[in-house]
Amino acid sequence: MKDTIITAKQKKREALTWLVCFLIANLINFYAIITYDNTSFSELFTSLGYVFVASLTIYFLWTIIRLLFYGLKKMLKTKK
Amino acid sequence: MENVSLDRREFLKKAGMAGAASIFLASPWLSVFSDSKYTDKSVVRLGIIGPGSRGRYLTQLLAQNKKADIAALCDIYQPSLDEALKIAPNAKTYKDYRYLLEDKNIDAVIIATPLNTHCQIALDAFDAGKHVFCEKSIGFTMEECFAMYNKHKSSGKVFFSGQQRLFDPRYIKVMEMIHQGTFGDIQSIRAFWFRNGDWRREVPSPKLERLINWRLYREYSKGLMTELACHQLQIGSWALRSIPNKVMGHGAITHWKDGREVYDNISCIYVFDNGQKLTFESVISNKFYGLEEQILGTLGTVEPEKGKYYFENVPPAPGFLRLINDVENQLFNTLPFAGTSWAPETANKNEGDYILGDKPKGDGTDLMMDAYVEAVITGKQPINVAEEGYYASALTLLGDMAMEKGEMLTFPDQFKLDYLNHHKTVIS
Repeated sequence: MKDTIITAKQKKREALTWLVCFLIANLINFYAIITYDNTSFSELFTSLGYVFVASLTIYFLWTIIRLLFYGLKKMLKTKK
Repeated sequence: MENVSLDRREFLKKAGMAGAASIFLASPWLSVFSDSKYTDKSVVRLGIIGPGSRGRYLTQLLAQNKKADIAALCDIYQPSLDEALKIAPNAKTYKDYRYLLEDKNIDAVIIATPLNTHCQIALDAFDAGKHVFCEKSIGFTMEECFAMYNKHKSSGKVFFSGQQRLFDPRYIKVMEMIHQGTFGDIQSIRAFWFRNGDWRREVPSPKLERLINWRLYREYSKGLMTELACHQLQIGSWALRSIPNKVMGHGAITHWKDGREVYDNISCIYVFDNGQKLTFESVISNKFYGLEEQILGTLGTVEPEKGKYYFENVPPAPGFLRLINDVENQLFNTLPFAGTSWAPETANKNEGDYILGDKPKGDGTDLMMDAYVEAVITGKQPINVAEEGYYASALTLLGDMAMEKGEMLTFPDQFKLDYLNHHKTVIS
Protein backbone atom coordinates (compact mmCIF):
# COMPACT_ATOMS: atom_id res chain seq x y z
CA MET A 1 0.00 0.00 0.00
CA LYS A 2 1.47 3.32 -0.94
CA ASP A 3 1.40 6.54 1.08
CA THR A 4 -1.25 9.09 0.20
CA ILE A 5 -0.35 12.72 0.17
CA ILE A 6 -3.09 15.25 0.72
CA THR A 7 -1.79 18.61 -0.32
CA ALA A 8 -2.60 21.85 1.41
CA LYS A 9 -4.46 22.92 -1.69
CA GLN A 10 -6.67 19.82 -1.55
CA LYS A 11 -7.36 20.37 2.14
CA LYS A 12 -8.33 23.96 1.47
CA ARG A 13 -10.59 22.87 -1.39
CA GLU A 14 -12.35 20.26 0.78
CA ALA A 15 -12.80 22.75 3.61
CA LEU A 16 -14.31 25.24 1.20
CA THR A 17 -16.53 22.54 -0.24
CA TRP A 18 -17.85 21.67 3.19
CA LEU A 19 -18.36 25.37 3.97
CA VAL A 20 -20.48 25.69 0.85
CA CYS A 21 -22.46 22.63 1.99
CA PHE A 22 -22.93 24.23 5.41
CA LEU A 23 -24.12 27.43 3.75
CA ILE A 24 -26.57 25.47 1.61
CA ALA A 25 -27.90 23.67 4.72
CA ASN A 26 -28.36 27.02 6.44
CA LEU A 27 -30.22 28.36 3.41
CA ILE A 28 -32.50 25.31 3.54
CA ASN A 29 -33.11 26.01 7.24
CA PHE A 30 -33.87 29.67 6.40
CA TYR A 31 -36.32 28.54 3.70
CA ALA A 32 -37.99 26.14 6.17
CA ILE A 33 -38.34 28.88 8.79
CA ILE A 34 -40.12 31.26 6.41
CA THR A 35 -42.20 28.50 4.81
CA TYR A 36 -43.56 26.66 7.86
CA ASP A 37 -45.99 27.97 10.49
CA ASN A 38 -45.05 28.40 14.15
CA THR A 39 -41.37 28.81 13.50
CA SER A 40 -38.97 31.42 14.79
CA PHE A 41 -35.75 32.89 13.45
CA SER A 42 -34.09 31.68 16.63
CA GLU A 43 -34.16 28.29 14.89
CA LEU A 44 -31.23 29.60 12.82
CA PHE A 45 -29.24 28.96 15.99
CA THR A 46 -31.27 26.33 17.84
CA SER A 47 -31.31 24.02 14.79
CA LEU A 48 -27.59 24.36 14.12
CA GLY A 49 -27.04 20.77 15.24
CA TYR A 50 -29.46 19.48 12.57
CA VAL A 51 -27.97 21.90 10.03
CA PHE A 52 -24.47 20.62 10.77
CA VAL A 53 -25.58 17.02 10.26
CA ALA A 54 -27.34 18.03 7.06
CA SER A 55 -24.18 19.81 5.82
CA LEU A 56 -22.19 16.61 6.35
CA THR A 57 -24.84 14.66 4.46
CA ILE A 58 -24.72 17.11 1.55
CA TYR A 59 -20.92 16.99 1.61
CA PHE A 60 -21.01 13.18 1.60
CA LEU A 61 -23.45 13.10 -1.33
CA TRP A 62 -21.38 15.68 -3.24
CA THR A 63 -18.25 13.62 -2.60
CA ILE A 64 -19.92 10.51 -4.05
CA ILE A 65 -20.93 12.50 -7.13
CA ARG A 66 -17.37 13.80 -7.49
CA LEU A 67 -15.88 10.33 -7.05
CA LEU A 68 -18.20 8.95 -9.72
CA PHE A 69 -17.35 11.82 -12.03
CA TYR A 70 -13.58 11.53 -11.60
CA GLY A 71 -13.77 7.75 -11.71
CA LEU A 72 -15.62 7.80 -15.01
CA LYS A 73 -13.25 10.45 -16.36
CA LYS A 74 -10.23 8.33 -15.40
CA MET A 75 -11.82 5.23 -16.93
CA LEU A 76 -12.46 7.00 -20.23
CA LYS A 77 -8.91 8.41 -20.22
CA THR A 78 -7.39 4.95 -19.63
CA LYS A 79 -9.39 3.46 -22.53
CA LYS A 80 -7.98 6.07 -24.92
CA MET B 1 -29.16 4.74 62.12
CA GLU B 2 -29.69 7.42 59.49
CA ASN B 3 -30.26 10.93 60.70
CA VAL B 4 -33.37 12.07 58.87
CA SER B 5 -33.89 15.35 60.66
CA LEU B 6 -35.51 17.57 58.09
CA ASP B 7 -36.08 21.26 58.04
CA ARG B 8 -37.97 22.82 55.17
CA ARG B 9 -34.90 23.30 53.05
CA GLU B 10 -33.69 19.77 53.69
CA PHE B 11 -37.13 18.43 52.93
CA LEU B 12 -37.15 20.12 49.53
CA LYS B 13 -33.63 18.86 48.92
CA LYS B 14 -34.62 15.33 49.85
CA ALA B 15 -37.75 15.67 47.77
CA GLY B 16 -35.68 16.76 44.78
CA MET B 17 -37.38 20.13 44.49
CA ALA B 18 -36.09 23.67 44.29
CA GLY B 19 -37.19 25.86 47.20
CA ALA B 20 -40.24 27.97 46.49
CA ALA B 21 -42.80 29.63 48.73
CA SER B 22 -45.56 28.51 46.37
CA ILE B 23 -44.86 24.88 47.27
CA PHE B 24 -45.85 25.65 50.84
CA LEU B 25 -48.94 27.52 49.67
CA ALA B 26 -50.12 24.46 47.78
CA SER B 27 -49.12 22.09 50.62
CA PRO B 28 -49.22 24.13 53.85
CA TRP B 29 -48.79 21.05 56.04
CA LEU B 30 -45.11 20.95 55.05
CA SER B 31 -44.61 23.66 57.68
CA VAL B 32 -44.47 20.68 60.04
CA PHE B 33 -40.76 20.54 59.23
CA SER B 34 -40.12 24.16 60.12
CA ASP B 35 -39.09 23.50 63.73
CA SER B 36 -37.17 20.31 63.07
CA LYS B 37 -33.74 21.82 63.62
CA TYR B 38 -34.79 22.59 67.20
CA THR B 39 -36.02 19.05 67.84
CA ASP B 40 -32.81 17.18 67.12
CA LYS B 41 -32.38 16.03 70.69
CA SER B 42 -35.99 14.97 71.16
CA VAL B 43 -37.19 11.41 70.94
CA VAL B 44 -40.80 10.26 70.78
CA ARG B 45 -41.84 6.93 72.21
CA LEU B 46 -44.20 5.19 69.86
CA GLY B 47 -46.60 2.30 70.19
CA ILE B 48 -47.46 0.32 67.06
CA ILE B 49 -50.95 -1.13 67.23
CA GLY B 50 -51.36 -3.71 64.50
CA PRO B 51 -47.90 -4.51 63.11
CA GLY B 52 -49.21 -6.57 60.21
CA SER B 53 -47.70 -6.05 56.78
CA ARG B 54 -48.52 -2.33 56.54
CA GLY B 55 -47.83 -1.75 60.22
CA ARG B 56 -44.42 -3.34 59.91
CA TYR B 57 -43.61 -1.25 56.84
CA LEU B 58 -44.36 1.89 58.84
CA THR B 59 -42.34 0.50 61.76
CA GLN B 60 -39.36 -0.05 59.47
CA LEU B 61 -39.52 3.56 58.30
CA LEU B 62 -39.80 4.83 61.87
CA ALA B 63 -36.89 2.66 62.94
CA GLN B 64 -34.68 4.71 60.61
CA ASN B 65 -35.61 7.95 62.37
CA LYS B 66 -33.35 8.72 65.33
CA LYS B 67 -36.13 10.83 66.86
CA ALA B 68 -38.45 7.83 67.02
CA ASP B 69 -38.25 5.04 69.57
CA ILE B 70 -40.48 2.06 68.88
CA ALA B 71 -41.30 1.39 72.51
CA ALA B 72 -44.30 -0.91 72.24
CA LEU B 73 -45.96 -3.31 69.86
CA CYS B 74 -49.48 -4.66 70.09
CA ASP B 75 -51.19 -7.36 68.08
CA ILE B 76 -53.55 -10.23 68.76
CA TYR B 77 -51.74 -12.32 66.13
CA GLN B 78 -48.43 -13.61 67.54
CA PRO B 79 -46.63 -14.14 64.16
CA SER B 80 -47.09 -10.43 63.40
CA LEU B 81 -45.64 -9.51 66.78
CA ASP B 82 -42.69 -11.83 66.23
CA GLU B 83 -41.93 -10.28 62.85
CA ALA B 84 -42.23 -6.76 64.26
CA LEU B 85 -39.85 -7.61 67.09
CA LYS B 86 -37.17 -8.27 64.49
CA ILE B 87 -37.42 -4.57 63.59
CA ALA B 88 -37.82 -3.25 67.12
CA PRO B 89 -36.32 -5.88 69.41
CA ASN B 90 -36.48 -3.72 72.54
CA ALA B 91 -40.18 -2.96 72.26
CA LYS B 92 -42.61 -4.16 74.91
CA THR B 93 -45.33 -6.36 73.48
CA TYR B 94 -49.04 -6.33 74.22
CA LYS B 95 -52.01 -8.41 73.14
CA ASP B 96 -54.54 -5.79 74.20
CA TYR B 97 -54.10 -2.21 73.01
CA ARG B 98 -55.74 -0.83 76.16
CA TYR B 99 -52.73 -1.91 78.23
CA LEU B 100 -50.42 -0.22 75.75
CA LEU B 101 -52.44 2.99 76.10
CA GLU B 102 -52.05 2.81 79.88
CA ASP B 103 -48.28 3.10 79.48
CA LYS B 104 -47.57 6.74 80.38
CA ASN B 105 -44.24 6.61 78.58
CA ILE B 106 -45.88 6.20 75.21
CA ASP B 107 -46.31 9.55 73.48
CA ALA B 108 -48.05 8.47 70.32
CA VAL B 109 -49.53 5.49 68.54
CA ILE B 110 -49.66 4.13 65.02
CA ILE B 111 -52.91 2.31 64.28
CA ALA B 112 -52.66 -0.19 61.42
CA THR B 113 -55.34 -2.66 62.45
CA PRO B 114 -58.35 -3.86 60.40
CA LEU B 115 -60.61 -0.95 59.46
CA ASN B 116 -63.53 -1.83 61.71
CA THR B 117 -61.33 -1.44 64.81
CA HIS B 118 -59.75 1.95 63.97
CA CYS B 119 -62.34 4.19 65.56
CA GLN B 120 -62.46 2.71 69.05
CA ILE B 121 -58.70 2.42 69.30
CA ALA B 122 -58.22 6.00 68.10
CA LEU B 123 -60.85 7.39 70.46
CA ASP B 124 -59.30 5.49 73.38
CA ALA B 125 -55.85 6.70 72.38
CA PHE B 126 -56.94 10.34 72.31
CA ASP B 127 -58.61 9.81 75.70
CA ALA B 128 -55.34 8.38 76.99
CA GLY B 129 -53.55 11.55 75.87
CA LYS B 130 -51.72 9.97 72.94
CA HIS B 131 -51.12 11.47 69.53
CA VAL B 132 -52.62 9.30 66.80
CA PHE B 133 -51.55 8.16 63.37
CA CYS B 134 -54.33 6.03 61.90
CA GLU B 135 -54.10 4.17 58.63
CA LYS B 136 -56.74 4.99 56.07
CA SER B 137 -59.64 4.81 55.92
CA ILE B 138 -59.81 6.29 59.36
CA GLY B 139 -63.29 5.04 60.18
CA PHE B 140 -65.67 2.28 59.17
CA THR B 141 -68.61 4.69 58.85
CA MET B 142 -68.98 8.43 58.31
CA GLU B 143 -70.18 8.70 61.90
CA GLU B 144 -66.98 7.09 63.11
CA CYS B 145 -64.80 9.38 60.98
CA PHE B 146 -66.65 12.41 62.30
CA ALA B 147 -66.30 11.22 65.89
CA MET B 148 -62.56 10.64 65.42
CA TYR B 149 -62.02 14.07 63.88
CA ASN B 150 -63.97 15.76 66.66
CA LYS B 151 -62.07 13.86 69.33
CA HIS B 152 -58.82 14.99 67.74
CA LYS B 153 -60.01 18.60 67.87
CA SER B 154 -61.24 18.41 71.46
CA SER B 155 -58.15 16.58 72.70
CA GLY B 156 -55.69 18.92 70.98
CA LYS B 157 -53.59 15.91 70.05
CA VAL B 158 -51.92 15.39 66.69
CA PHE B 159 -53.94 13.34 64.19
CA PHE B 160 -52.49 11.92 60.99
CA SER B 161 -54.03 9.45 58.59
CA GLY B 162 -52.19 7.32 56.07
CA GLN B 163 -52.56 9.74 53.14
CA GLN B 164 -48.94 9.56 52.06
CA ARG B 165 -49.53 11.43 48.80
CA LEU B 166 -49.69 14.60 50.91
CA PHE B 167 -45.94 14.10 51.45
CA ASP B 168 -45.04 12.65 48.07
CA PRO B 169 -42.68 15.08 46.27
CA ARG B 170 -44.29 14.40 42.91
CA TYR B 171 -47.73 15.33 44.17
CA ILE B 172 -46.46 18.33 46.12
CA LYS B 173 -44.72 19.71 43.05
CA VAL B 174 -47.55 19.00 40.67
CA MET B 175 -50.16 20.50 42.99
CA GLU B 176 -48.09 23.66 43.12
CA MET B 177 -48.15 23.73 39.30
CA ILE B 178 -51.90 23.03 39.23
CA HIS B 179 -52.64 25.81 41.70
CA GLN B 180 -50.49 28.20 39.68
CA GLY B 181 -52.69 27.44 36.65
CA THR B 182 -49.97 25.69 34.65
CA PHE B 183 -52.48 23.16 33.34
CA GLY B 184 -55.43 25.58 33.03
CA ASP B 185 -58.73 24.86 34.73
CA ILE B 186 -58.98 21.31 36.01
CA GLN B 187 -62.08 19.79 34.46
CA SER B 188 -61.91 16.20 35.49
CA ILE B 189 -59.86 13.65 37.38
CA ARG B 190 -59.88 10.04 36.26
CA ALA B 191 -58.57 7.85 39.03
CA PHE B 192 -58.18 4.12 38.65
CA TRP B 193 -56.47 1.28 40.42
CA PHE B 194 -56.28 -2.00 38.54
CA ARG B 195 -54.74 -5.21 39.77
CA ASN B 196 -54.90 -8.82 38.72
CA GLY B 197 -55.01 -10.93 41.83
CA ASP B 198 -57.47 -12.26 44.36
CA TRP B 199 -56.22 -9.93 47.12
CA ARG B 200 -56.00 -12.89 49.47
CA ARG B 201 -53.32 -13.61 52.02
CA GLU B 202 -52.22 -17.11 52.86
CA VAL B 203 -54.07 -18.45 55.87
CA PRO B 204 -52.36 -21.05 58.11
CA SER B 205 -55.68 -22.27 59.50
CA PRO B 206 -59.26 -21.81 58.21
CA LYS B 207 -60.13 -20.37 61.63
CA LEU B 208 -57.93 -17.38 60.81
CA GLU B 209 -59.53 -16.67 57.43
CA ARG B 210 -61.50 -13.62 58.53
CA LEU B 211 -58.75 -12.38 60.81
CA ILE B 212 -56.13 -12.38 58.07
CA ASN B 213 -58.27 -11.73 55.00
CA TRP B 214 -60.38 -9.11 56.75
CA ARG B 215 -60.27 -6.88 53.66
CA LEU B 216 -62.60 -9.30 51.86
CA TYR B 217 -65.44 -9.20 54.39
CA ARG B 218 -67.89 -6.37 54.93
CA GLU B 219 -67.90 -6.90 58.66
CA TYR B 220 -64.35 -5.51 58.71
CA SER B 221 -63.81 -3.56 55.50
CA LYS B 222 -65.48 -1.77 52.61
CA GLY B 223 -63.05 -3.40 50.21
CA LEU B 224 -61.56 -1.52 47.28
CA MET B 225 -63.13 1.77 48.32
CA THR B 226 -61.62 1.97 51.78
CA GLU B 227 -58.35 0.28 50.86
CA LEU B 228 -57.58 1.90 47.50
CA ALA B 229 -59.97 4.72 46.58
CA CYS B 230 -59.21 6.52 49.82
CA HIS B 231 -55.77 7.55 48.53
CA GLN B 232 -57.00 8.74 45.19
CA LEU B 233 -60.13 10.64 46.23
CA GLN B 234 -57.96 12.90 48.33
CA ILE B 235 -56.22 14.06 45.13
CA GLY B 236 -59.50 15.66 44.04
CA SER B 237 -59.84 17.93 47.06
CA TRP B 238 -56.15 18.81 46.89
CA ALA B 239 -56.14 19.62 43.19
CA LEU B 240 -59.49 21.40 43.03
CA ARG B 241 -59.43 22.80 46.56
CA SER B 242 -63.02 21.70 46.85
CA ILE B 243 -64.96 18.77 48.25
CA PRO B 244 -67.27 16.89 45.87
CA ASN B 245 -70.83 16.96 47.08
CA LYS B 246 -72.46 14.19 45.09
CA VAL B 247 -71.54 10.62 44.31
CA MET B 248 -73.05 7.78 42.32
CA GLY B 249 -71.60 4.41 41.55
CA HIS B 250 -71.92 0.70 41.02
CA GLY B 251 -70.10 -2.25 42.45
CA ALA B 252 -70.24 -5.96 41.81
CA ILE B 253 -68.39 -9.21 42.28
CA THR B 254 -67.74 -10.18 38.69
CA HIS B 255 -64.67 -12.39 38.81
CA TRP B 256 -63.47 -13.47 42.25
CA LYS B 257 -66.54 -15.41 43.32
CA ASP B 258 -64.73 -17.13 46.16
CA GLY B 259 -66.89 -16.30 49.13
CA ARG B 260 -65.73 -12.75 49.51
CA GLU B 261 -68.27 -10.10 50.40
CA VAL B 262 -66.64 -6.98 49.01
CA TYR B 263 -66.82 -5.93 45.36
CA ASP B 264 -64.03 -6.77 42.93
CA ASN B 265 -65.33 -4.42 40.24
CA ILE B 266 -66.34 -0.88 41.15
CA SER B 267 -66.88 2.46 39.52
CA CYS B 268 -67.88 5.74 41.15
CA ILE B 269 -68.44 9.28 39.91
CA TYR B 270 -67.93 12.15 42.32
CA VAL B 271 -69.36 15.52 41.30
CA PHE B 272 -67.98 18.86 42.46
CA ASP B 273 -70.08 22.00 42.92
CA ASN B 274 -69.43 23.38 39.43
CA GLY B 275 -69.82 20.06 37.66
CA GLN B 276 -66.22 18.90 37.58
CA LYS B 277 -65.94 15.15 37.99
CA LEU B 278 -63.69 12.75 39.77
CA THR B 279 -64.16 9.17 38.68
CA PHE B 280 -62.76 6.16 40.46
CA GLU B 281 -62.62 2.74 38.89
CA SER B 282 -61.08 -0.44 40.23
CA VAL B 283 -61.02 -3.94 38.81
CA ILE B 284 -58.83 -6.64 40.32
CA SER B 285 -58.90 -9.06 37.41
CA ASN B 286 -56.89 -6.98 34.93
CA LYS B 287 -53.79 -4.95 35.71
CA PHE B 288 -52.93 -3.53 32.29
CA TYR B 289 -53.56 0.12 33.18
CA GLY B 290 -52.24 -0.17 36.73
CA LEU B 291 -52.72 2.80 38.99
CA GLU B 292 -53.08 6.45 38.11
CA GLU B 293 -54.87 9.70 38.71
CA GLN B 294 -55.22 11.47 35.37
CA ILE B 295 -55.77 15.14 36.12
CA LEU B 296 -57.26 16.80 33.06
CA GLY B 297 -56.86 20.56 32.68
CA THR B 298 -57.69 22.83 29.79
CA LEU B 299 -53.99 23.33 29.06
CA GLY B 300 -52.54 20.01 30.06
CA THR B 301 -52.78 16.63 31.72
CA VAL B 302 -50.97 15.27 34.73
CA GLU B 303 -50.28 11.64 35.53
CA PRO B 304 -48.60 11.89 38.93
CA GLU B 305 -48.12 8.16 39.43
CA LYS B 306 -46.05 8.06 36.25
CA GLY B 307 -44.53 11.31 37.45
CA LYS B 308 -45.31 13.04 34.15
CA TYR B 309 -47.31 15.89 32.71
CA TYR B 310 -48.32 16.67 29.15
CA PHE B 311 -49.35 19.95 27.61
CA GLU B 312 -52.28 20.05 25.20
CA ASN B 313 -50.39 22.04 22.58
CA VAL B 314 -47.03 20.56 21.96
CA PRO B 315 -44.56 23.00 20.38
CA PRO B 316 -44.05 21.97 16.73
CA ALA B 317 -40.76 20.52 15.63
CA PRO B 318 -38.28 22.97 14.11
CA GLY B 319 -39.11 24.00 10.52
CA PHE B 320 -35.92 22.35 9.26
CA LEU B 321 -37.00 18.93 10.57
CA ARG B 322 -40.50 19.37 9.19
CA LEU B 323 -39.11 20.24 5.77
CA ILE B 324 -36.87 17.16 5.76
CA ASN B 325 -39.77 15.04 6.95
CA ASP B 326 -42.02 16.32 4.16
CA VAL B 327 -39.35 15.72 1.53
CA GLU B 328 -38.75 12.25 2.92
CA ASN B 329 -42.49 11.51 2.89
CA GLN B 330 -42.76 12.65 -0.73
CA LEU B 331 -39.83 10.48 -1.75
CA PHE B 332 -40.90 7.38 0.13
CA ASN B 333 -44.68 7.72 0.32
CA THR B 334 -45.13 4.43 -1.44
CA LEU B 335 -44.15 2.61 1.75
CA PRO B 336 -46.96 0.29 2.78
CA PHE B 337 -47.41 1.70 6.28
CA ALA B 338 -45.99 4.11 8.83
CA GLY B 339 -42.82 5.93 7.90
CA THR B 340 -39.16 5.19 7.67
CA SER B 341 -37.45 4.70 10.98
CA TRP B 342 -34.82 7.32 10.33
CA ALA B 343 -37.27 10.09 9.48
CA PRO B 344 -37.31 12.81 12.15
CA GLU B 345 -40.49 13.03 14.19
CA THR B 346 -42.58 16.14 13.72
CA ALA B 347 -44.04 16.29 17.22
CA ASN B 348 -46.94 13.96 16.50
CA LYS B 349 -46.10 12.19 19.73
CA ASN B 350 -46.51 13.83 23.12
CA GLU B 351 -43.97 12.18 25.37
CA GLY B 352 -44.60 14.62 28.21
CA ASP B 353 -42.13 15.74 30.83
CA TYR B 354 -41.21 14.36 34.22
CA ILE B 355 -42.57 16.38 37.12
CA LEU B 356 -39.31 16.14 39.01
CA GLY B 357 -37.06 15.57 36.03
CA ASP B 358 -36.77 11.84 36.57
CA LYS B 359 -38.76 8.65 37.08
CA PRO B 360 -40.64 8.62 40.40
CA LYS B 361 -38.91 7.23 43.46
CA GLY B 362 -40.81 6.33 46.64
CA ASP B 363 -44.35 7.35 47.51
CA GLY B 364 -43.96 9.83 50.36
CA THR B 365 -44.64 7.34 53.17
CA ASP B 366 -41.17 7.89 54.65
CA LEU B 367 -41.62 11.66 54.65
CA MET B 368 -45.12 11.28 56.10
CA MET B 369 -43.75 9.27 59.01
CA ASP B 370 -40.98 11.84 59.54
CA ALA B 371 -43.65 14.53 59.55
CA TYR B 372 -45.68 12.63 62.15
CA VAL B 373 -42.66 12.33 64.43
CA GLU B 374 -41.95 16.06 64.09
CA ALA B 375 -45.58 16.92 64.83
CA VAL B 376 -45.61 14.67 67.91
CA ILE B 377 -42.43 16.29 69.24
CA THR B 378 -43.73 19.82 68.78
CA GLY B 379 -47.33 18.93 69.60
CA LYS B 380 -48.43 21.07 66.66
CA GLN B 381 -51.03 19.71 64.27
CA PRO B 382 -49.95 20.42 60.67
CA ILE B 383 -52.47 22.47 58.72
CA ASN B 384 -55.09 20.49 56.77
CA VAL B 385 -53.63 17.03 57.40
CA ALA B 386 -56.51 15.87 59.61
CA GLU B 387 -59.10 17.49 57.34
CA GLU B 388 -57.70 15.93 54.17
CA GLY B 389 -57.63 12.56 55.91
CA TYR B 390 -61.16 12.99 57.23
CA TYR B 391 -62.63 13.91 53.86
CA ALA B 392 -60.74 11.19 51.98
CA SER B 393 -62.29 8.63 54.32
CA ALA B 394 -65.74 10.23 54.43
CA LEU B 395 -65.94 10.41 50.62
CA THR B 396 -64.79 6.82 50.34
CA LEU B 397 -67.57 5.71 52.66
CA LEU B 398 -70.14 7.88 50.91
CA GLY B 399 -69.16 6.24 47.63
CA ASP B 400 -69.59 2.82 49.18
CA MET B 401 -73.03 3.82 50.46
CA ALA B 402 -73.99 5.06 46.98
CA MET B 403 -73.01 1.71 45.49
CA GLU B 404 -74.84 -0.23 48.17
CA LYS B 405 -78.02 1.79 47.77
CA GLY B 406 -77.75 2.19 44.00
CA GLU B 407 -78.54 5.89 44.41
CA MET B 408 -76.86 9.21 43.87
CA LEU B 409 -75.99 10.52 47.33
CA THR B 410 -75.25 14.02 48.55
CA PHE B 411 -72.65 14.70 51.22
CA PRO B 412 -74.65 14.88 54.48
CA ASP B 413 -74.64 18.31 56.10
CA GLN B 414 -74.14 16.88 59.59
CA PHE B 415 -70.72 15.52 58.61
CA LYS B 416 -69.38 18.69 57.03
CA LEU B 417 -66.41 20.52 58.53
CA ASP B 418 -65.44 24.14 58.07
CA TYR B 419 -63.07 23.25 55.27
CA LEU B 420 -62.74 24.46 51.68
CA ASN B 421 -66.25 24.75 50.20
CA HIS B 422 -67.86 23.02 53.17
CA HIS B 423 -69.29 24.77 56.19
CA LYS B 424 -70.14 23.15 59.45
CA THR B 425 -73.84 22.90 60.10
CA VAL B 426 -74.83 24.58 63.33
CA ILE B 427 -77.68 22.69 64.95
CA SER B 428 -79.77 25.10 66.97
